[in-house]
Amino acid sequence: MINKLINKGFFTLSFVVLVSAGPLFAAEEKPIKEVSEDDYIGDVPRVLTVSRLSQSIADAPSAVTVIDKETIRASGIVDLPEIFRLVPGFYVGTNAGFVHNTNHVVSYHGMTTAYAGSMQVLVNGRSVYSPLYGGVQWSELPIAIADIDRIEITRGPNAASYGANSFFGVINIITQSPSDQVGASLSATYGNGRHEAFARYGAKQNDLSYRVTAGYRDDDGLDNRYDFKRTRLLNAQMDYRVDDKNNLEFELGLVNGDREDDQSLGRTRYFEPRVRSIENNYELIRWRHNVSDSSDLSLQAYHSFDRTKDVINSVNLVGLLPFATLLTPTLQVNNDIEMERYDVEAQHNFSISPILRGVWGASIRQDIMYSPYYLGTQNTDTFNLQRLFGHIEWRPIERVVLNMGAMLENNSFTDTDISPRASINFKLNPNQTIRFGISTALRTPNYLEDKFNTNIEVKTTSTPLQAQYIRGNSNLNPERIISKEIGYLGDFGKFSLDARVFYDNIHDYIKSDIDRTTPLLAVTSSGYVLIKQPTVYTNAGDVNVKGFEAQAKWHATKDTHLLFNYAYVNINADGNQTADTITMSMPRDTISALLTHRFSSEWDASYAYYQTSEVTALGDGNYVGLARRSDIRLARKFKAERISGEVSAVVENLFNEHYQEFADYNTLKRRARLNVRLDF
Amino acid sequence: MVEKSILLFRLDRKSWVNSLMKSLLACVMLVFGLFAPFVAHAYTGVTIVMSVQTPANLEFVDQFNAELAKNKQINLRVNVITLPDTEKLVVAENSELVIALGVKALEAASKLRRSTPVLGVFTPLPAFNSVMAKNRRELGNFSAIVLDQPFSRQMALIKHVLPEAQKIGVLLGTTSSQYLEYVREGGEKRGLNILEEKVNQEADLIPQLKKLLDTADAILAIPDPTIYSRETAQPILLTSYRYQKPIFGYSQSYVRAGALAAVYSTSKQLAKQAAEIAIKSRQASSELPPPQMPKYFSIMLNYQVARSLNIPLMDEDELLKKMLESDAPEAM
Repeated sequence: MINKLINKGFFTLSFVVLVSAGPLFAAEEKPIKEVSEDDYIGDVPRVLTVSRLSQSIADAPSAVTVIDKETIRASGIVDLPEIFRLVPGFYVGTNAGFVHNTNHVVSYHGMTTAYAGSMQVLVNGRSVYSPLYGGVQWSELPIAIADIDRIEITRGPNAASYGANSFFGVINIITQSPSDQVGASLSATYGNGRHEAFARYGAKQNDLSYRVTAGYRDDDGLDNRYDFKRTRLLNAQMDYRVDDKNNLEFELGLVNGDREDDQSLGRTRYFEPRVRSIENNYELIRWRHNVSDSSDLSLQAYHSFDRTKDVINSVNLVGLLPFATLLTPTLQVNNDIEMERYDVEAQHNFSISPILRGVWGASIRQDIMYSPYYLGTQNTDTFNLQRLFGHIEWRPIERVVLNMGAMLENNSFTDTDISPRASINFKLNPNQTIRFGISTALRTPNYLEDKFNTNIEVKTTSTPLQAQYIRGNSNLNPERIISKEIGYLGDFGKFSLDARVFYDNIHDYIKSDIDRTTPLLAVTSSGYVLIKQPTVYTNAGDVNVKGFEAQAKWHATKDTHLLFNYAYVNINADGNQTADTITMSMPRDTISALLTHRFSSEWDASYAYYQTSEVTALGDGNYVGLARRSDIRLARKFKAERISGEVSAVVENLFNEHYQEFADYNTLKRRARLNVRLDF
Repeated sequence: MVEKSILLFRLDRKSWVNSLMKSLLACVMLVFGLFAPFVAHAYTGVTIVMSVQTPANLEFVDQFNAELAKNKQINLRVNVITLPDTEKLVVAENSELVIALGVKALEAASKLRRSTPVLGVFTPLPAFNSVMAKNRRELGNFSAIVLDQPFSRQMALIKHVLPEAQKIGVLLGTTSSQYLEYVREGGEKRGLNILEEKVNQEADLIPQLKKLLDTADAILAIPDPTIYSRETAQPILLTSYRYQKPIFGYSQSYVRAGALAAVYSTSKQLAKQAAEIAIKSRQASSELPPPQMPKYFSIMLNYQVARSLNIPLMDEDELLKKMLESDAPEAM
């Protein structure tokens, strides 16, 4: 009896003890998962596989700037290209150009034109570089700034990894993984000349996660220009984990909207301002396969389609062309454009040993172009591209990293070329690296330079007139850049520095000239009276770009961060050989800084400063003087039971300096915006 | 205090815990002495129970046999049984030491007559505790070599890999939050500050991880079913990687998946320790030592991740040697 009592008593005690010990015992009532040996011995799917592990900046063959979403948020930007003001050596111009379209220009190290084509731009590995005029139609990208995870900018040619047109640099925009954006979010912006609304929904179900973002942007443009932009966009991304070794990713994007343009800006007005309608879409599928611990395979295919509906109306030409009797006083040009792209790429990342790893792959692409006005034919034109690329990283001894790579490329315009690169990094110690690099890249001529045959015919009672705008040159060679650099990276805990000196040499610069062989008002061989001489393109001369650039980050405290950039760029070329103002096509000095401070878990503020010295952009651009701009942003986060969010206010150009950007027709004034974001 | 001692007494050797345990043991002995008269028989054989024949389990058996042979204990016969589907074990209950490989096998073994000495291997400490409670087994003849590595050892690894690290983040769920005190203690010994964030539900996981990553120099993963699982490996590893901060894992597979390093024990190492216990306690089977953490260990480093994070790593063997020099023998 006594035994039994003791026995019972002890077990009761141990029972109580263990129940109060927490969830272990609760497992009996509610099936909570418990740690088992499987957690220690069982398999975990490989996440950071060879292809996901990027090179450390200290091992990379070129200078790399990474802008994360916190920096994007703190900068207060509303147009994506504005963020590149925070990258050393970049020049960003609002509303550049007017002939083909009106978009931001983003250029690096000069040759700034409205359609600056010297940089490769990728969104999640998909090239958004336009083959028509070159450059990127920034406002037409189906992407919401809030969905961006980070932007990696390679400063310096990187053809060996990204192919031709990775001329001066590469911008790689990477969106957040859908599994990181579960829940719904609404965001609305109201400000001077700017209204936006975005909605996002993301969900995760077992092995499937997806995100859908829809938005509307209304940009009134600048005061004195015909340049409004209305954009509707939809973007969807889906990740499906098939099993531990296979992942499928899908992307889809749609954009449509209206663009106002004025082709006759600042010139004799032959044409009325007009509204174009734009639309584009893309679909992408990517299969990632983890072959083994040391090897990954990915296969990606995408299709994109881009259409512009555009009717250009002339003004009454009677008084402007007094020497002829016109059949009709006005004329109309149909400038519909359709571009389509198919692209398939395979890539294999591997690691042979801890000191040797690499990547190689191949891609094929076809661009189909229909542009009767620009190309001067109703026929569609196709542009084919095949590439083979490889890159290895070798660490013969602990403190030395060698990078070598090459891209072999064949395309319909310029046939076959190879662009190699090599660099060596010396690690002085774990915190400091010195890099010596030499890299080459090509810039394939775009349709404008190679294929355009743009004329306008004016019917008269006698010999018809012809204005010849552009005559492409199918014998062009690609521009070739050889870039040499010495870079330094230092990381001292709270302070880090990335600096480099560079010397870029560009051969076969593609120069534009007015062809004056047929005098004005003479009769051309095809029987027209010439009323405008065409712009033609030729390979001519060399351009040298040298300079220095640095990026410093200082984490003064946990809550106060400073980012500071400086670049000095000096362009040397014979203006007669290349372009009159080519040496002025990049500001000599550019400075940008972003100071952020967190006052509390709710309040934070940031201050951005941008300064560019005088610059004369090529093409549609012209001289603009020293520009200084300060932006501030103040934000308050809030959190209620089910809803959290942020209210923020941004003032751009705080001191209201009426400065010009890209050309004298773009005068910037102070603008303020208020944004409210709700997450639930 | 009492509850903690039951759950976590093996993690340190505070004297009050020991004395408490001794009194508890005495109590157990007393109970069994009166209730179950066959306790103190020396055993003549070892039965190794496993639920499935995994390579790890088979390797354990091989090495266990080899260790016995090495110690000239050939007369100790070793029986290996795979858990029958009924989960009802049949062993010679009074003359055998039962070594249970894995939680399921331990669960089955715990249902044997209470006088049968049972040693769990491949069992995490919380699971051991819960099996012991559920089947009302007592210490003394119910013990384990748990899978949990001492925190001081894990901190030593962190300090060797990241000499400049000061702040280590840990995510704590319902299971692992009970370890906080011990993690802190382990960190203190190595001059590491422990920052913790609680994760009560899956939805908090990534936000809380990001909070940690904002300030911590590295993350130490402590097994917890609400935090570390096959499903969460991808978001956890990718998020930390985006912050360019390393994760210290607790298994080889987590290192393969993308953690920077981990301390773990191989089947062979656990077999060696189990053989030592079997030999030592042979003469008095009622006195299995209290549950202990692995005595022998290995480390695994992920050089690819280290390179990508620009963390210089020394050779695995060299680092292990350094750790062994400073690893305080964990006498349990």
